[in-house]
Amino acid sequence: MNLSASHLPSSFANSSLEHFSLEHFSLEQYNNSSSLIYGIGNVGRQDDGLGWAFIDWLEQEKLCDKAELVRHYQLHLEDADLISYKKKILFVDATKSKSVKTFEIEQLSPKMDFSFTSHAISIPSIMATCQQCFDCLPDVYLLTIRGYEWELQEGLTQQAQLNLTTVIDYFKREVG
Amino acid sequence: MSRKIIIDPVTRIEGHGKVTIHLDDNNQVIDAKLHVVEFRGFEKFIQGHPYWEAPMLLQRICGICFVSHHLCGAKALDDMIGAGYSTGVSMLPTPEKMRRLAHYMQQLQSHVTAYFYLIVPEMLFGMDAPPEQRNVLGLVEANPELVKRVVALRKWGQEGIKAVLGKRMHGINSIPGGVNQNLSIAARDRLLKGEDGLISIDDVIEYAQDGLKLFYEFHEKNRQQVDSFAEVPALNMSLVGDDGNVDYYHGKMRVVDKNKEIVTELDYHDYLDHFSEATEEWSYMKFPFLKALGREAGSVRVGPLARVNVTKAYSDDTPLAKAALEHFHDYTQGKANDKTLHTNWARSIEILHSAELIKVLLNDPDLQKEPLIITPPKSAWTGEGIGVVEAPRGTLLHHYRANEEGNITFANLVVATTQNNTVMNRSIRSVAESYLGGKAEITEGMLNAIEVSIRAYDPCLSCATHAMGQMPLVLSVFNAKGELVNEFVR
Repeated sequence: MNLSASHLPSSFANSSLEHFSLEHFSLEQYNNSSSLIYGIGNVGRQDDGLGWAFIDWLEQEKLCDKAELVRHYQLHLEDADLISYKKKILFVDATKSKSVKTFEIEQLSPKMDFSFTSHAISIPSIMATCQQCFDCLPDVYLLTIRGYEWELQEGLTQQAQLNLTTVIDYFKREVG
Repeated sequence: MSRKIIIDPVTRIEGHGKVTIHLDDNNQVIDAKLHVVEFRGFEKFIQGHPYWEAPMLLQRICGICFVSHHLCGAKALDDMIGAGYSTGVSMLPTPEKMRRLAHYMQQLQSHVTAYFYLIVPEMLFGMDAPPEQRNVLGLVEANPELVKRVVALRKWGQEGIKAVLGKRMHGINSIPGGVNQNLSIAARDRLLKGEDGLISIDDVIEYAQDGLKLFYEFHEKNRQQVDSFAEVPALNMSLVGDDGNVDYYHGKMRVVDKNKEIVTELDYHDYLDHFSEATEEWSYMKFPFLKALGREAGSVRVGPLARVNVTKAYSDDTPLAKAALEHFHDYTQGKANDKTLHTNWARSIEILHSAELIKVLLNDPDLQKEPLIITPPKSAWTGEGIGVVEAPRGTLLHHYRANEEGNITFANLVVATTQNNTVMNRSIRSVAESYLGGKAEITEGMLNAIEVSIRAYDPCLSCATHAMGQMPLVLSVFNAKGELVNEFVR
């Protein structure tokens, strides 16, 4: 299932939700101890910090405060163990993909895609490992937010900040 | 027609490197080189920073062996403020044991990563297996129970490092003169007994033996290949304690030869008197060597294989590792072991040794005591410090100088992978001659054999902790005119 908001204009606040299948995606469903929201990124690499910035916002607004919120630079194979204790997981990551205009939410399925290096492993591979090793499979979604610059510098670019604001506005409408 | 083969980048190592192999008209190996093409410049950009930032900033060189860099830097700062070994001051018991505990936990964690994630897949599936199979995800499909145990080991190591250093990565516990916290009883008990999703330390020791068993089985089935693969001569170097056996945290630098005779033993504060570094225009990585012996004869091997060659015996409080080391020594009948793939044997012994050392320390009540820090008078300031530890990959050195304002003016880091530069190149040459020499057709499996020789050293070519995506392997074959005649991408 792909709940795409790829074509959202950045002036999303004025858009109608009815146009998007995102309307059934709710943060409230993550506000419990069996949920995990996992920010991936690095705040020292400009827009790579988008995933963590989303977690910052959740904490500031005290949203999903019953869920486990984590920030990590990258996925590790041990995350198969981490997600095995949870029923619902939302990964949040930045993307360079031009096909994502603002943000995108998609449901992921397990797949052993053999992408492993000591620095990178895919979420579907983590899920497949969880399934193989721990005999369970949580419900996993990925929120990707479009970023533009990945240089060694702190702070989001203006456009990435706008995209983050659009994401936040969307979820604010939901909770507000 | 002579040919040049390039493996770029080498995969499943920390950082980026490439290999070039030159073949003559008869496909015999003319030359083989490991090029390190990554440049990070940490020694330069630390200059001007306050001295106390050094162990915090410089550990970010690496996302795997950051604890070693952190502790090495902290030891250098102990010297600098007049509370270190160079000034005749011994660290207080609690901070020294806290640092050692962090160090052993990282060695466990790092070795488990290198061994099970990067090396074991080749042991189980073979060097010729398809690349999509010979990695840890292939292992997940083939042996999920083993992977489950490895994940539990890694998780225990990560949680242990977090408990001791304050963070899972790039910790903040070691400060000049000591540490900023001891280990709470709750944290100790969680690590000892295994609570809240963690295995117990006894399980850690049991699981740690998996590596050794795997190596024994692999060795039994492939004895000729394992023993003859890249057997290259080198001196062996390790930090040793007063008993002459490895001390991962502190000691003298001892170098032994093939007969395990001591070639030299030095206080690491005098390293500049004993070591020099050669450079080559084709690599950013230097080539250290003992001045007295010259570049070729004076190059040393460091890391697991070197340490078990230097060490005569482990102590009685690590009985499983002690027995494993005796078996290792018996295999070469008292001589130093130069077999590159036996580095993985040594690494699996050190996984077990680390686990047993950790158990001893976790049961030491000093970890809950105080004081935590020595604060010398301002007049004790020396403005210079050198730290050395045995990092998982081998002997690691940090050397700093600071001005009267306390800002760093000089930094020199000699990392284990640099020490191994010459012997790694020897290994590559040996494998290239054995596997590629005289062969008209170069297969993917042959090229992987080159990578296997490199991975045995678990080299950290300045780890790119923030690398994104998959690192591709590109193999290009050029003729004598520099024309591309073939290319492999994986």
